[in-house]
Amino acid sequence: MASRPLQPLITAIGRVLLGKEQAVQLALACLLARGHLLIEDLPGMGKTTLAEALARGFGLSFKRVSFTSDLLPADLTGINVFDAANTRFHFQPGPLFSQVLLADEINRASPRTQSALLEAMAAGRVSVDGVSHPLPQPFLVIATQNGIDQVGTAPLPESQLDRFLMRLSLGFPNREAERALLGGAALPPASLEPFCDATGLLELQRQAATQHCSTALLDYVLDLAAFSRRADQPGPGLSPRACQGLVAAARAWSLLEGRDHVTPADVQAVLPAVADHRLQRDAAALLAGVDGLR
Amino acid sequence: MSRSARWLQILGLAVLAAGLPGLDYGSPLGWLSAGLLLLAALKLAEARSVQERRLVSLLTLIGCGVQGAQQPELLPSVLQLLGTGLALAGLLALEVGEGLSWRAVLRRSLAVLLAALPMALLLFLLVPRLDPLWTAPSLRGPGAAVTGLSADLDPGSIASLANDEAPAARVSFSSATPPDPQGRYWRVIVHERFDGRRWSRLDEPAKATVPPANAPSSAADQAGPSQVWLVEPSPVHALPWAGTGQGSSSQLRVSRNGELRRQLPGRERLAYLLRDVDRPQAWQQRPPTLVDLSLPAGSNPQLESLGESWRTLPQPEQRLAAAQAWFTSHTFRYSRTPGALPARRGLDVFLFERREGFCGHYASAFTALMRSAGVPARVVSGYLGGRWVQPLGGTPYLDLRQSDAHAWSEVWLPNRGWQRVDPSAWVGSSASNPVGVVGSAAAGSSKLEGWRLGMQWLQWQWWGLDLAWNRWWLGFDQASQEALLRRLFGDQRQGLGLVLLGGAGGLLALGLGWLQWLQTPERGDRLERDLHAVLRLLRRWGIEPAPGETFGQLCLRARERLPGRREALQELSRCHGLLRFARLNPTARARHWAAWRTALRTLQHSP
Repeated sequence: MASRPLQPLITAIGRVLLGKEQAVQLALACLLARGHLLIEDLPGMGKTTLAEALARGFGLSFKRVSFTSDLLPADLTGINVFDAANTRFHFQPGPLFSQVLLADEINRASPRTQSALLEAMAAGRVSVDGVSHPLPQPFLVIATQNGIDQVGTAPLPESQLDRFLMRLSLGFPNREAERALLGGAALPPASLEPFCDATGLLELQRQAATQHCSTALLDYVLDLAAFSRRADQPGPGLSPRACQGLVAAARAWSLLEGRDHVTPADVQAVLPAVADHRLQRDAAALLAGVDGLR
Repeated sequence: MSRSARWLQILGLAVLAAGLPGLDYGSPLGWLSAGLLLLAALKLAEARSVQERRLVSLLTLIGCGVQGAQQPELLPSVLQLLGTGLALAGLLALEVGEGLSWRAVLRRSLAVLLAALPMALLLFLLVPRLDPLWTAPSLRGPGAAVTGLSADLDPGSIASLANDEAPAARVSFSSATPPDPQGRYWRVIVHERFDGRRWSRLDEPAKATVPPANAPSSAADQAGPSQVWLVEPSPVHALPWAGTGQGSSSQLRVSRNGELRRQLPGRERLAYLLRDVDRPQAWQQRPPTLVDLSLPAGSNPQLESLGESWRTLPQPEQRLAAAQAWFTSHTFRYSRTPGALPARRGLDVFLFERREGFCGHYASAFTALMRSAGVPARVVSGYLGGRWVQPLGGTPYLDLRQSDAHAWSEVWLPNRGWQRVDPSAWVGSSASNPVGVVGSAAAGSSKLEGWRLGMQWLQWQWWGLDLAWNRWWLGFDQASQEALLRRLFGDQRQGLGLVLLGGAGGLLALGLGWLQWLQTPERGDRLERDLHAVLRLLRRWGIEPAPGETFGQLCLRARERLPGRREALQELSRCHGLLRFARLNPTARARHWAAWRTALRTLQHSP
């Protein structure tokens, strides 16, 4: 089997974020699949570190916005300010105009601000006073949110959760990794050498989108979707957009695995991250309902 | 809806349109072709749905077929094939081409055409040869004349003869060597009626014509040498031939006086095959009528008195010899620019005063002399000589130009029938064949001349290919087909229809099967079968697949339980992943397939 092309980057990020190799690879797959990432976890689990490491790893510009309840849409998108010298308005871009945006604690902002961010994520452009400004490419939003049982938060509705390709939960590190962390083995994100630049990332994204999906594989995804929609399964099941996301993520995963084609194992690897937040339940349960021997 | 499908269809229609100018709009089929093309183009312009675009491709295919029925020549055939390929590619792009590249679609269309080849071959060999279905009278008046020999011969009114280098016909011989120059007389029109100045054809009803060599064909005739003619459009019904041979089509008829005729004059080029036969043709032995002796009294008094002076000789052969002696004893000169002869006593002025002229003058004067001497005679016009061309590819052939047109005489000798006499030959060797003057009149600057010669060379090469093609498809006529069937099935052909039907069905199934095989490179069923064999083996060893498990995961689990079969299981898992999910070229697929089979056998035979 061919070598895994991004293994050096995964290893390097592994020295910054200890013991989270699986989560790092999923985050990379999300990035390669041109999707946006939602990290749901408690404070202090390394969310910001992961976002910063991803941005540095690809040499991307990185901005961080802490969402608060009084954050307004214009604080994200930027505004037209009056230039007294030239007696005219010019556009002052907001933090949205960066290649990697870390939206910290997105569920603390008002629904109006959340909506502005999600619109920009979907459209890839921002409109201010009727003028449309394209966002930089590549553009990745990593949003974090705390557990929804905390006071003073506005949880994202399902329709907006659907805009994130993946939802990850980092979780506690294991004892060994935590011991290393306490021992000072973790490097700061600033020490990461870029693996490639933005052009290289765009090429990787293009490559991921052309990974071969055989008919048998697409049938597997369709069987999973059909099973999730069955009457005896809770909830409405996987939407076509979810299936698209599932295939795109599986493609990126297969590229990370060093293959030029997608197998059911790739689909199974990304399924929980892609489907859990859309189904509001454990998507891995779907796997047992569909025959993987094909 | 793919854009490439639309472009392929537009291209297909354009190629088909290129064949339109060559069609004969005198026949309904010509208009049908043009109409089909127009319909397809309009449909293409307004088509929105897949069904409508499908219709465009189908119309194009039908158009190709209809054109093919009218134009079997090489260039139109190539165009029709191209059009068919493009129409098929358009259809394929429409049906399966989503995401396929142009080249992939064209390659598939070629595969479809190849798959249809066995059926086409069978049809070519076995479908009964029919004469053209459309023998409706021409819609065009006789005025739409093209270059060719004239039905009337009036040499006296022609002051000078232009050198027309337009192609007239091409003929190739199965023996690949041309007849010797003395034998290259190709007769076209027989002029029998003479009004003292003008020779004209005898209007003969079509009923009076017979097929050439109308005799029971024998197997020996099929093997004999043959000639393939390609004749440019001509205003007359008559076609060039050597005066002997057996035609391949009932479209060809021979008149009472030995003209080879086509049923209809046409604007399209005509190709026909004549097989050489040894039997004398009927027209050569058909006795003369009064027309062949008639001479308007007093129109040329000097000529008449000279001819009548030979009546004292008892035998026609002697009168003929006397005429030849008279011509050779006087100084005649061959000239292409003799000036016009007076309307009255024209032949007298030619024979006794000017004594210069071209073949028409000699044939005309000699024939009149023979008639006045009481020997039945007539004027024949046609072609003489021709250029022997040996192209790089294709068949060597004789290239006949309008400048090779010639006129000569035929006289009736009681025991020998109609005999050819060429009085022009008596006035000097260089005179009889005007080939020597090619291009001298058209000589321009040397560069232009070089260009002209280059084009000429190219045209000769193309004509060679064209003739080879025509020889191929004309050569397989009804008689050859009959001979083939007899050889294949003997004289007992009771169940032939069933055999044909069975054969056609078999070939069709073969073609379809091949297509099916082409379209399923995965060969999924065999892999599926083998997979179940592996699962059966694993079950025997107590390993059941878990719900939702992939084959790779199952193999991984089995490897822990069956350490002795680690390698085989790993190989199976690897090959299965590739064969089922990867995009493989045929050689790689075959390699992994072989590895899969080997691993499966190893697993089956492991203790």
